[in-house]
Amino acid sequence: MADIFGYDMPDELYYNEEHSWAKVEGNKVRVGMTDFFQKEAGDIVFVDLPEEGDEVSQGEVCGKIQSRKWIGKLVAPVSGEVVEINEELEDDPTLINKDPYGKGWILVIEASELESELKNLMQGDAVKAFIEKEIKKAEEEKAKAK
Amino acid sequence: MGVWRLLKETERPLTTAEGLSIDDTLSISVDSLNTPPILHLYKFVPSAIVGRYQDIEASLRLQRIKELKMEYNRRSTGGGTVIMGPTVLALGFGINVDHKGLGAGVRGVFQVMSEALISGLKYLGIEASFRPKNDLEVKGRKIAGLSAAMDSKRGILFHTSLLVDFDLNLLSEVMNTPLIKFQDKGYSCFSQRLTTVAMEKGESISVEEVMDAVAKGFEDVFQVSFQESTLTDEEWNWALKLREERYQNPQWIFSHRHPRVRMGIGRLKTRAGLLEVYLALAGAVIEHIFITGDFFTTTEDLNRIESTLRYTRCEEEQLMNCLKPIWKDDIIYNLTPDLLVEAIMLAKENQVRF
Repeated sequence: MADIFGYDMPDELYYNEEHSWAKVEGNKVRVGMTDFFQKEAGDIVFVDLPEEGDEVSQGEVCGKIQSRKWIGKLVAPVSGEVVEINEELEDDPTLINKDPYGKGWILVIEASELESELKNLMQGDAVKAFIEKEIKKAEEEKAKAK
Repeated sequence: MGVWRLLKETERPLTTAEGLSIDDTLSISVDSLNTPPILHLYKFVPSAIVGRYQDIEASLRLQRIKELKMEYNRRSTGGGTVIMGPTVLALGFGINVDHKGLGAGVRGVFQVMSEALISGLKYLGIEASFRPKNDLEVKGRKIAGLSAAMDSKRGILFHTSLLVDFDLNLLSEVMNTPLIKFQDKGYSCFSQRLTTVAMEKGESISVEEVMDAVAKGFEDVFQVSFQESTLTDEEWNWALKLREERYQNPQWIFSHRHPRVRMGIGRLKTRAGLLEVYLALAGAVIEHIFITGDFFTTTEDLNRIESTLRYTRCEEEQLMNCLKPIWKDDIIYNLTPDLLVEAIMLAKENQVRF
C-alpha cells in the first residue's frame, strides 16, 4: 500500500491519467477507479458499463460514471475484450467509494497487447508526481476563488 | 484577451431535440476541432427534461405532461429533472477540460462555472452563492442548477437552467417527488425551496436581458470577450445526426440505464417536534430529500441541509460526515444531527419501489 498525500495508491497497480487503475492477473487485467478519483468525485450514483464481449482499445472511453450531477468517463487502461463486469455495482455503485481496489472493481479485460501497453501507464514515482500535479491544480483553483 | 463564440437564440424557443442536440455538439466541437469554448444561450418550448441516468417514468407524470402539451426528453448531462419553458434560461457550454481557466477535478470545474453565473446575476442586482452540491442559491432558495458530462475525450458539456420568471405550481403538476407522491404537498415543497430572477428583483424581466448579463459574467470570470456566432456546416451535421439518433429516439428517451428509484417516509417524534423525512433513493444514493414537521428552523438552513444530503449515499456514517461541517447549534431548534439521521434511516427502511 502506498499513501500518496493521503490517497491510497497501491504500488503493484498501474494507473492512467484518467484515474483508472489496472491490476495484471496473468493475461487479464482487472480495472477500477482510484482512491483519488472516488474522494474527488464523491458518492457514485450510477455506472454505465460496456457488455461482456465488447472490444475496447487503450485510452478509449468504455464506460460512464455519474457522481453528483457530473458524468465522468471510464477509460480503458489496456486494449482487449471485456470478459467480466462487476454486477454488484448495479445495486450499489458506492462500492467504488467504499472499497475502490477490492469490491469496487469495475471490469476485467482479456488483454491483447499487454506488454507494450503497460509501458504507457504510470507506476511508482510517476504516480506520486501525477497526484502531486493534480493536487496543485486543485489548490491553485481554491486560492484563486478566495 | 481571447475571443469565444456565443450562440444566442432569441427568435423562438427551441424544441428539446433541437436545443439538446446543439448543446452536445458544443463539447464535440471543442474536443475534435480544438475550437475555443462555446456558450449557447436559449430557451425551450414548455418541457420536462430528465438527467442522463434518471428513470423518466418514475420522475415525471408523463400523462399530465402530454395533457399539457409539453415535451419531455433526456439530456446527456447528470442530475435531476428540470422543467423548462420560454421563461427559463437554458445554457449549454462546451469547453476543453485542459482549458487553463478551468479548475481541476469535478469540484474545481463546477466552482468556476458557478462563479461565472454568480458574476452574471450580479449585473441584475442579485447576490447568489454556490450551494453544495452544484446549485446556485439566493438567500437559501435555489435559482439555478448545474450539471455536466464528459462524453468526448477532452470536451466537457455544462448545462444550467436559470429560473427567470416561472410558475412554480407547474412543477408539482408534472414532477414526481416523494412529497408529492405521499402527501400531495407539491406547491409548498417547491415554493419554499426555489426562487426566480423576477421574484428576487420584484419585477418582470425578459430572458434576453438575463442572457446578456450571464454572457457578461462569463466574460468577467474567464477574461474573454464573446463574438456572436452560428454553428458551422460541420457542426450542424453533428447536431442533426444527434437530434435524430438521440433526442427523437424513444430508446434514448426511455432508456433503462439508470439506478432503481425507491421512495419512503420516516417519521420521528423528537424534543424538537415531529420530524418527517421524505426520501427518494436512486440506487444507494439520495436523489431527493424533503424534511418537514413542526420544528423551528429557517428556510435557508433547511434548504442547505437538504441540498447537502443530496447525492450522498444513504448510510449512517456517511450522512453524519455530510452533516457535521454545516451543523451549528440549533440549526433545527432542539434537534441533534443523529436524530435527523435516524429519521432518514427510517425513511430508507420504509422505502418502496416506485
